[in-house]
Amino acid sequence: MAEATLRTPPLDRARVLQWLQTYGVYAGVALLLVVNIVITPHFMSAENFRTQAVQVAPVIIVALGMALVIGTEGVDLSVGAVMALAASVTALYLGYGLLPALLVVALFAAGVGLANGALVAFIGVQPIVATLALMVGGRGLALVLLPQLEDLRNPALASLGSGGVAGIPYLILIAAALALLVAFVVRRTTFGRQLLAIGDSRPAAQLAGLPVRRVLIIVYVACALLAAVAGVLATARLQASDPTSLGNLMELSAITAVVVGGTPLTGGRVNIAGTVAGAVLIQLLTATLIKHDLPPSWTQIAQAIVIVCAVYAARGRGKR
Amino acid sequence: MAPPAEVLAVRGLSKTFPGVRALDDVDLTLHPGEVHALIGENGAGKSTLIKLLTGVYRPDAGDITFQGRKVSFATPLEAQKAGISTIYQEVNLIPLLSVARNLFLGREPRNRFGMLDVTRMNREAEEVLGTYGVRVDVRQPLRTLGVGAQQMVALARAVATDARIVVMDEPTSSLEPREVETLFSVIRRLRDAGIAVVYVSHRLDELYAMCSTVTVLRDGRRVHHGPLADLDRLALVSTMLGRDLGDVREEGATKFSGDHQAADTRPVLQAEGLTVPHKLHDVSLSIRPGEVVGLGGLLGSGRTETAKAVSGALARSSGRITVAGVPLRGGSTPAAIRAGISLLPEDRKSEGIVPGLSVRENIALAALPRLSRFGLVSEARVDSIVDTFVERLRIKASSPHQKVGELSGGNQQKVLLARWLAMNPKVLLLDEPTRGIDVGAKAEVQKLVDELAADGLGVLLISSDLEELIEGSDRVVVLKDGAVVGELTGDDVTEDKLMRTIAGGGDPAHDAAKEAATDG
Amino acid sequence: MQRTTSRRPLLARPVVVALAAAVALTATACAKTEDDTADNKQSETAAGAEQKVATPKAGGETCTIDAYGAEKIDLKNATVGFSQSEKEANPFRIAETQSIKDEAKKRGVKLLTANAQSQFSKQISDVQNLLAKGADLLVIAPLNSDGWDPVLQAAAAKKVPIITIDRKINAEPCKDYVSFIASDFVEQGRRAADQMIEATGGKGEVAILLGSAGNNVTTERTKGFKERIAEKAPDLKVVFEQTGDFSREKGQQVTEQLIQSKPGIKGIYAENDEMGLGAVTALKGAGKKAGDVKIVTVDGTRNAVQGVVDGWISGVIESNPRFGPLAFQTLDTFTKGEEVPQDIIIQDGAYNADNAKQDIGKAY
Repeated sequence: MAEATLRTPPLDRARVLQWLQTYGVYAGVALLLVVNIVITPHFMSAENFRTQAVQVAPVIIVALGMALVIGTEGVDLSVGAVMALAASVTALYLGYGLLPALLVVALFAAGVGLANGALVAFIGVQPIVATLALMVGGRGLALVLLPQLEDLRNPALASLGSGGVAGIPYLILIAAALALLVAFVVRRTTFGRQLLAIGDSRPAAQLAGLPVRRVLIIVYVACALLAAVAGVLATARLQASDPTSLGNLMELSAITAVVVGGTPLTGGRVNIAGTVAGAVLIQLLTATLIKHDLPPSWTQIAQAIVIVCAVYAARGRGKR
Repeated sequence: MAPPAEVLAVRGLSKTFPGVRALDDVDLTLHPGEVHALIGENGAGKSTLIKLLTGVYRPDAGDITFQGRKVSFATPLEAQKAGISTIYQEVNLIPLLSVARNLFLGREPRNRFGMLDVTRMNREAEEVLGTYGVRVDVRQPLRTLGVGAQQMVALARAVATDARIVVMDEPTSSLEPREVETLFSVIRRLRDAGIAVVYVSHRLDELYAMCSTVTVLRDGRRVHHGPLADLDRLALVSTMLGRDLGDVREEGATKFSGDHQAADTRPVLQAEGLTVPHKLHDVSLSIRPGEVVGLGGLLGSGRTETAKAVSGALARSSGRITVAGVPLRGGSTPAAIRAGISLLPEDRKSEGIVPGLSVRENIALAALPRLSRFGLVSEARVDSIVDTFVERLRIKASSPHQKVGELSGGNQQKVLLARWLAMNPKVLLLDEPTRGIDVGAKAEVQKLVDELAADGLGVLLISSDLEELIEGSDRVVVLKDGAVVGELTGDDVTEDKLMRTIAGGGDPAHDAAKEAATDG
Repeated sequence: MQRTTSRRPLLARPVVVALAAAVALTATACAKTEDDTADNKQSETAAGAEQKVATPKAGGETCTIDAYGAEKIDLKNATVGFSQSEKEANPFRIAETQSIKDEAKKRGVKLLTANAQSQFSKQISDVQNLLAKGADLLVIAPLNSDGWDPVLQAAAAKKVPIITIDRKINAEPCKDYVSFIASDFVEQGRRAADQMIEATGGKGEVAILLGSAGNNVTTERTKGFKERIAEKAPDLKVVFEQTGDFSREKGQQVTEQLIQSKPGIKGIYAENDEMGLGAVTALKGAGKKAGDVKIVTVDGTRNAVQGVVDGWISGVIESNPRFGPLAFQTLDTFTKGEEVPQDIIIQDGAYNADNAKQDIGKAY
């Protein structure tokens, strides 16, 4: 049936839904920008846009990894825990200098990603269960390593968090570079295409001789590494390592950004531009409500409405 | 001896699904103590009939009279309560509950306080299962039991719920020989207790051992019914396959050109002693370059499993595969593909195409590593491969960027062929390459197979379409119950000989073929 | 569906487990934080930092051991059970548990401790375990106010007196439990307002960084602050109230939005130190100078008091977590048969530019 509607969309409604699925998130961002320019004082300033971009950068970075995982018909709930782990490991090894600390962080994140990937690819645990285990265990480990918030004074780390090039903060540059990199990997590399094929039809990919397990493991490792980057950047910005609260509910923000951006949870498709726009949409929405001092519960309700709209639009397309 | 009154009488049952007349005016009569064989090839209507009887579907037309009353079951549970129980291939009990709980589910013994009487339940469960030859700890979860034992529990449960009719859908497909014996003795007990059994199976030996009567379905219609003893194996097979003996049609109905020039060279594929537990037993076959070898046999005889075992998609417990003289190391699909073995799977939609990707991506999928440098896909090389095959195979798509899921079945099949041809394979395993595609596309695919063999590929052809199998193959290896029972070569490649071999009933040609097979 | 691949669970599982364990072990073995060379700054009780009682016995309801129905014992020979509610991951809980342990050691009392890790069901079973292990007296930092009936019954059956600290339980004092020792969160809010009025001169627009929604600490600290502002400085307007979830990161993010949209903001009241420190980071990032925006926070952690010393924070209202001395003092008095108040409210200190430097040692 889905096939029939795809060939010849008979209803205008179906066409509208399909348009919304593809462009809705950009329209949403544009709408929020226009509304804010009209009603929010001091909105049209470089400073404001910098603030929004800096705040959304870690979410975008995590959402990039999440988009890859969702593209394989999986989900990674452990990203928030990996951020916390990155924060505590950074604090723990900063005595050696920033670069060595970052290497150890990468090792830890790769370890979590490997564990996720191995559970999913070799043991066949459902992604939601496998990563749930690492979500709980990862944050536990982070708190064992660093039981409470610790202030960090490393100048290199501080400049990573608040410095920039030509007035553009490092955070924004790094997020933009990573988004371009991930988009390139998805579109142009063997790995990217194998990932999509596996997400769309795993049995077919297997019979076509694709290295299914290897691709899955790499995807989960990449997702964990991206989450670790976000964790280090957020820590650098805060100039403190706070494993108790850093990355709390980040998995949900990331999934929201991915889904709102038009990547279906059923796998086989990854929309990186949409994911970035999805994260920006949620950030602008939150900022609007905060700037107008509306009750925090409104933010949650507004987010819920956006998600419902995104899911409704996705319904119009279907998977096959 | 006058037959007892019938327990079930089905008259004129019909059921239509969108585009398919699944069941057309079918009658069925069951008497107490009758073991009735229900047979037919894929799509003949067996499962539709069973589902109508057990309340899964509602008939479009026709009546079901059960124990003298017209009935219309709304749900399987209703049918079960009335006395029609079904034992499926996959046991449908609750794996995490204990064996005893499963056995007594919904009618647990209660003590005088209305509480579950666990002690009594376990004791009775042990007694009941003991009579079925199942001796296990009934307090363990059901899933800890073997499949055979689970099936026995399902059966015991069915009998204990006062079933008058028990429907068994391929009950022996995953059983060990010893378990089959136990099952048969249970069926005999059911029969002696006056319960009617509907027995669905493709294993002819079992049918002749257990069943007294038979109904043969083909294309949704009943084509034969009566005592099984009246029909010898050959007649049974030909009825089922829809081929009258001695009425071999003229050649030319398919697009196959006839014999290929199988050069008398070393085989390109040699498989020896392939064994997959419960599925294949010691299957050997070889294919020479330029040769099309057909795999014959009934549904469930192990044709698809053979193809999958060769291509590494099905883990084998023993067996050796050599491709062009080089032994294949490792049992994985990628290893087989690297060696030059390509499989066009039977289930095109779920195991073949990647529906959300474009024609272009689907064709390039397996060959991606060859079309890339340093992990980056060379779009130019992909385009040239795609253009070549779209033209050569005459794939009809609005553009190479159209999603494969939107194409017709025939074009999807061609895309899959293109995917494998892009790998320059040595051996093509084609599992039902023309099923579900329209007549024109079918002829095109058949012609392609011919051309590919002429180019020197070794082809293994699996088809339920006898005509296609006979005319397309230079040689036919016949499987039955997961083992090779014969091989037809040269002038013996005829429908008549094929059916005799499948039936395997005292035909001299059969023994000759068997000898030939062991020689090869 | 047919399973088309073979799996190797037996191999993979131990590998994963072993890997995780190895990583965790090596992680701490060669760690080196920035502060490894500096001396460890955590937590011995600083002199003069123990709690003082704000409401003396005058007039308040009291309780004696006879009224409660337990038997006199000598605290020195008793076993005291302590049930902590949240994991010791923030300075408040760390200092609270440490204070109880230190005081027990000082008095030579046998102490059993348990931590519910923020799970209420675990706290219930924790307390029951403490009773089973032979606790004669209980000190409980409850996670919830409700749902304590099973524990209270078990304690009553064994005639074990209970003191609750920092959060009240909904039950009858001097029957279900003896006393409740805590800070007055509304009063903390009022005193924060006083500091804010002083810092801003009582004029202008201020913002509140709320704690987590639905938390009694949040509601009470907000209530006290707003009451006092309305009463004493009607020209001070609260124009912004957003939650920072008691975390530094959220405090930073919300403050960034705040100073974008309301550049004229004069003061920020943060309902805990962490959010206040987040606000400081945000102000620094926006190129503000210390004192441009007045910040008042509640809790009294060392980092926040250091902020006062540095001039970024105008005032910190203390919420003293060192319950040990007062709790054991109360138990001692009670078990001797003398009367103790049912509600014991702590007198919290405060830090501002005048005393921060000399009193930073009292901060936790």
